[in-house]
Amino acid sequence: MLEVEELSVSYGGVAALDGVSLRIPNNGITAVLGPNGAGKSTLLRTIAGLVRPRAGRVLYRDRLLTGMSPEAIVRAGVSLVPEGGGIIRELTVEENLRLAHLWRRDPADLRKALDEVFALFPPLAARRHLPANSLSGGERQMLAVGRALMSRAELLLLDEPSLGLAPKLVSLIMRTVRDLRATRGLSVLLVEQNARSALSIADEALLLSSGRAVASRRAGELVHEEELWHAYLGY
Amino acid sequence: MSYFVVLTLTGVAAGMIYAALALALVLIWRATRVVNFSQGAMAMATTYIALAVIQATGNYWFGFIAALAAGLAMGAVAERAIVRWVEKGPPLNAVIVTLGLLLVLEAVVPMIWGAQIRAFPAPFSIAATQVGSTFIALSPFNIFTIAVVLLVMVALLVLFRFTSLGLRMRAAAFAPEIARLLGVRVGRLLTFGWSLATMAGALAGLLVAPTLLLYPNNMDAVLVYGFTAAVLGGLDSPVGALVGGLSIGLALSYIGGYFGGDLETAGVLVILIAILMVRPQGLFVHAAERRV
Repeated sequence: MLEVEELSVSYGGVAALDGVSLRIPNNGITAVLGPNGAGKSTLLRTIAGLVRPRAGRVLYRDRLLTGMSPEAIVRAGVSLVPEGGGIIRELTVEENLRLAHLWRRDPADLRKALDEVFALFPPLAARRHLPANSLSGGERQMLAVGRALMSRAELLLLDEPSLGLAPKLVSLIMRTVRDLRATRGLSVLLVEQNARSALSIADEALLLSSGRAVASRRAGELVHEEELWHAYLGY
Repeated sequence: MSYFVVLTLTGVAAGMIYAALALALVLIWRATRVVNFSQGAMAMATTYIALAVIQATGNYWFGFIAALAAGLAMGAVAERAIVRWVEKGPPLNAVIVTLGLLLVLEAVVPMIWGAQIRAFPAPFSIAATQVGSTFIALSPFNIFTIAVVLLVMVALLVLFRFTSLGLRMRAAAFAPEIARLLGVRVGRLLTFGWSLATMAGALAGLLVAPTLLLYPNNMDAVLVYGFTAAVLGGLDSPVGALVGGLSIGLALSYIGGYFGGDLETAGVLVILIAILMVRPQGLFVHAAERRV
């Protein structure tokens, strides 16, 4: 579904990604793991069109995404949920959600999509007319995921959805992602520092360190590779 | 009618014009975080266009529409051709560029139309109205001014609050990168924001010219008053622009009426300094914290 080929990115001459390749199969969940500064967020931001790569390319359903604008990439069906959720605090919960659907210009489907998100995340329905900055951390993450669903994306790029959340909420978010894969046929690229949570739902895992891919494994295998685990994930 | 009431009414009428210019500054600040110091000069240029059209057609309203249309176009061109190139740089660059645009406009307009002071027509009488035996300080043109600025304010409020275009414009202003990730074509909306703003400025130019007359820097003082009004309103809020404009209009009217017209400009500068010292964020800034 998504093919990342030999992607290299540098910021002012410093390499952030160095020839990273990756494939996400249809309906798969792939986790990208690695320490801080490994280039995980850069990888997602480059796929989403916010960062221009120095070399390499990204294909989505055999369509070249590299060089497309972020707004064109989300229209193609790829939605990035940035670190912290990236909710717009000055807008209400419902405005945040509606915004993600507006480009479809289909008011009937917008109402349907809103109802679906509110059914999936009841706490959002109760706060739909409140400013988004009144939400708790977990609710913000729900809003961020709900917003990606509003755009009817088929590939979600999730940047550290567990960041700053209590363990109970982390497992709720992970369960939701797994359920969405099953019920909506979504594919997911999941970037996480919280490796164990990510591996609990992922099929494949890619290990990044200093901008390079150091290992690519079945998620179930990586859990048992103590050497990699100690060297790159720290525990 | 008591002197105080007369000063109040004329202050409100003048304040509406400052509100229109403050609104233009606020719309551009919201969209691109730039203070557009060429706002007054743009309004001056569109008013010259209006005068040319009025003289060619003999109809005030053709000139009125031409000025608003020219404002739409001028705002879009300024954003696309000039401001877009400096938006990513330090904020001071954009400020200097808008000051440059001010100088260019005030130099180019007299090349085309001459620098002499010209009369500008009003669609309604600018003389005070008489009802029975009492004079009302407001002229029919004053009433037209108040009505048309209020109409524009309400239209913008409806646009921002209740339409999907307004929602996208707010998102683009508050969080451009996130908006793009949600499929909002931010670049186009910023251009549209400049267009709307310059149209509001063009309206101010049309409303001020019958009493202030038309010459290449006739808007300089109005820009200072409009800027003070916008700062008073918090630079971020259309309602703040309205309240700020009215406050400045009233203050000028009272200062001019009771202390003499020479003190008007100095009085506004004192107000501006006082606001910046006491409440630099303005009176109508959102309670929500702001990412900078």
